[in-house]
Amino acid sequence: MTTVAPRQRRSRAAPAFVAGYVILLVAFGVVPTVYAIYFAFTDSGGAFAGLGNFADAAADFRFLPAIGHVALYLVCWLAGLVVFVVGLALLLHRLQVRGAGRTLRFLYYLPGALAGAASVMVWLFVLDPAVSPVGFLLRALGYQTFGQVIAPGNLPVLFAAIAFWTGAGGWIVVMYGALNTISPEVLEAARIDGAGAWQTARRIQIPLLRKWIVYMVILAFAGGTQLFVEPQLLSQASVGVAGRDYSPNQLSYDFAFQNDNVNTAAAISVELLVVGLVVAAVFVVRSGFFDAD
Amino acid sequence: MIRSNLVARRRRTATLLAVAALTLAATACGAATSSGGDTKGRFTQAPQSDGPLTVWVDSTRLAAAQLYQKQNPTVKMDIVSYDGDANGSNYLQTKVSLFNRTGNGWPDVVFSSQNNEATWAVTAKFAAPLNKGLVPQSLLDGWAPNANQPCTVDGTVYCLRNDLSQTVLWYNAALMTQWGYQVPSTWEEYEALGKKVATEHPGYLVGAAGDTFTPEIYLWASKCGANHITGPKAVTVNATSPACTRMAALLDSLIAAKSMSTSSVFSSDFDKNEADKILMMPGPSWYGGSLFQGTFKTPKGQIAVAPMPHWADDKNPSVGNVGGGTWLLSAHSAHLKAATAFLTWVTTSDDYQGKVAVGYPAYAAAAKTWLAAQAASGYYANDITAPLQAAAGQVWPDWGYGQFSQEAIWAATVTPGLTAGKTIVSMLPAWQKAISDYARSDGYQVTQ
Amino acid sequence: MRTETRRAIPNPLAAVVLVAFAVFFVLPVVWLVLAATKTDDQLVRDSPLSFGSWDALRANWDALTGYQSGAILLWLRNSAVYSFVALAITLCVAVPAGYALAVTEFRGRRTLLIATLVVMLMPNATLVVPLFLEINAVHLIGSMWSVILPYAFYPFGVYLAYIYFGAALPRELLDAAKLDGCSEFAAFRHIGLPLAAPVVALVGFFSFVANWTNYFLPYVLLPSSDQVPVQVGLGTLLDNVPQFNPTAGALAVQRPEVALATLVAIVPVLLVFLFSQRFLVAGLLAGATKD
Repeated sequence: MTTVAPRQRRSRAAPAFVAGYVILLVAFGVVPTVYAIYFAFTDSGGAFAGLGNFADAAADFRFLPAIGHVALYLVCWLAGLVVFVVGLALLLHRLQVRGAGRTLRFLYYLPGALAGAASVMVWLFVLDPAVSPVGFLLRALGYQTFGQVIAPGNLPVLFAAIAFWTGAGGWIVVMYGALNTISPEVLEAARIDGAGAWQTARRIQIPLLRKWIVYMVILAFAGGTQLFVEPQLLSQASVGVAGRDYSPNQLSYDFAFQNDNVNTAAAISVELLVVGLVVAAVFVVRSGFFDAD
Repeated sequence: MIRSNLVARRRRTATLLAVAALTLAATACGAATSSGGDTKGRFTQAPQSDGPLTVWVDSTRLAAAQLYQKQNPTVKMDIVSYDGDANGSNYLQTKVSLFNRTGNGWPDVVFSSQNNEATWAVTAKFAAPLNKGLVPQSLLDGWAPNANQPCTVDGTVYCLRNDLSQTVLWYNAALMTQWGYQVPSTWEEYEALGKKVATEHPGYLVGAAGDTFTPEIYLWASKCGANHITGPKAVTVNATSPACTRMAALLDSLIAAKSMSTSSVFSSDFDKNEADKILMMPGPSWYGGSLFQGTFKTPKGQIAVAPMPHWADDKNPSVGNVGGGTWLLSAHSAHLKAATAFLTWVTTSDDYQGKVAVGYPAYAAAAKTWLAAQAASGYYANDITAPLQAAAGQVWPDWGYGQFSQEAIWAATVTPGLTAGKTIVSMLPAWQKAISDYARSDGYQVTQ
Repeated sequence: MRTETRRAIPNPLAAVVLVAFAVFFVLPVVWLVLAATKTDDQLVRDSPLSFGSWDALRANWDALTGYQSGAILLWLRNSAVYSFVALAITLCVAVPAGYALAVTEFRGRRTLLIATLVVMLMPNATLVVPLFLEINAVHLIGSMWSVILPYAFYPFGVYLAYIYFGAALPRELLDAAKLDGCSEFAAFRHIGLPLAAPVVALVGFFSFVANWTNYFLPYVLLPSSDQVPVQVGLGTLLDNVPQFNPTAGALAVQRPEVALATLVAIVPVLLVFLFSQRFLVAGLLAGATKD
């Protein structure tokens, strides 16, 4: 499984395989991205603006707090996602009760179908001790009203929980599918060698999942820095009390659509892109992610 | 200070550039050109044609467009329902800025549930000036005093007000009589009664201060100068004057006495625990139908209206205002005649505004018909006509509509503190700073 | 058949963890299902996890389908058209592309991988303006292709296919095929595609969900209210709930109707999930080693 086969010679058919995708990639990926980068370095008249837009963004009174918010959020979100997704996928994979694994995967996935407007109402009610199905829990934690639950200090954890609730199920399914690609013989051999569940996971399964985990971390990190949906949801549910201007991405959106200032909006997006790319590059290089092994 | 002023100035320059660029783009595309005119208020009409009239409305105003279509079957209409910019979605602004880039696609007439559309629609050259030949001045004079002020930039009217949301004092007439209380006419009496209720009937409420529009009910009525729009891109913010602090202190004292709720009247918490404990509730004209009748399902014959209280030393009573939508006409419209006819009908006709509309019509004659219909419904315990009509003329004009959302600013700055037990008085400086910051980031020149 | 490698006795701690997470994921959804059976009043006053009544459910359904005379059905139809057409295109381009990226070497391969990653990491808010201008330039504004084509571009799926083929395709098989004189297309058809079922299911599923739940793109791009998909429709419904928008007035929408609309809107996603899950479970390598 891990032996590296000799890589194929330059393929002549490959261009045909990727042609369709390349067309879409250029039309709906590369061109808009380049256009946005062009916006970031020009003013609204189209003249070169250097780093002016970046300076404008950084000078905004909401910019630094937003960076701080997202940093806090990222800690909660990444730690939770990696530990719980990999852990739950491994547990599910070991589950030998027939049908239970399939049912649980379905249940874990369920919230993934709820997006945007659909879940505004869910959170408005779940986080309001007066009407919440987990009201007893909220009251036990000392919260009597919706306003107390969405106090500024609680927001990073709340957003991470919301993001995990909607997003983790999909990743669990992906990880589970990936675990299935590990040959049973390898696991059997490990068992005969006397490896317990923990040993097997640590020495065989997790290393073999490396690419999947790297892919998840890259996307989750970028997704985390681009935090938008969760604060927007809570902001809508609380009529603006919590979550407005919370993240840089929201700020970018405000610049683009509230102030009709696409250029500064693009500058913030480019900054987020660069952060995401730097982290991605580190992971890609250290994990051999691009090797066609 | 100096630095932020510089930034503000640069922003303004950027805005001007943006406007210039948009104009250039529009001309270059050979589209309906609005030749960035030298004289204010005039615009070059697009070549007129016969196509269908495109009308954008929210779901509530869909009824208006459909009724017009039914009454005028010969008019070709393309009715599009959108979110009406509810909750500051900025949908209209977003789409107009995209249309401005592409040079086509603008709707002819638009309804918005926001009052501040003129703040960007004029610089974006979308809103057509209405009092320069399209709508006769005699008709415009029929609106309630100052109703079209949010639509007016430098004397030119760019939109028409759909409904007014003047504030009054709602109260439970049955309870007031039963407990032998007098309806307060001054804020001093109001505060005294609030404290009395707190001791005599604990749990009952004389108001709520947990909504995002709390400042528009109380501080606006108290003539607090936190939001004085002095020009197209200029605002004076003074949230710590006596007019502000004495109202804030009144709210604080009643919150401490627990006869003023800090929950939003639209929250589940309020609906479940406090909705049946309302003795009095200062609030906008739509509280009657939307809140008491619709949401709380308060039985018939209990709710009554009195004029908003005023300070004893203030000889000119004033009230606040919470919302009310506007209608805009596109400067790019190729069907100006049909568009103007629809606009006039939808804002002034008795058939719609008087008999169908949900809010208090901003057009005074329609408001009479509307009030008569309300009185005929028999829901209210007293005659609501006189207090509402009087309040319609008393909305304090020095609280304006900027591009920034006062409600969002209050919600984000003051509400969390209120929940955490801070007093409103102690948060007024922070509120003032937040308003100034948001105004500046929208390119406003801020005076404090 | 697959060898049974799992232990017979389930670990009680593991069971507790699995069930606890199940509750976390499912409880809000259960609440939502029950919410659709209540009146607005019951929603606030009754116990959160109680059943309302069939009558209330029926009344909510009538009110929902009555909204703008059956708009919800139109929204669902629009969503289905956009999502399935885009899904078909995505599968046709993403699976071969992922295959080629994983098992062949060609000029520009690395550039393609990097470009894909870069556009995937770009925040969406600022891409809307360029997209709008681009689509306007080719005169597609107002056409359903203005949302289908951007939907069909699904870099996430290409990466899924790339990682999958890279990890799951036995290299020996491909080499053997080559020695047998198979062309690269034949190798893809006879070895790649038969093994691709799980990743087709995975890509297909995620692409479908992404299309179905996309809100912002159709919200900005589509000019007519007859064209909007169900997500945008749900947003409109929510904007007509008095608790979110006090100006809504007489034609207001009640919260249980929104709950019901939400449930109706997620049913297709759940069906596609159940359907595609069948291809994900069983031993993925079983077929390969038998061939």
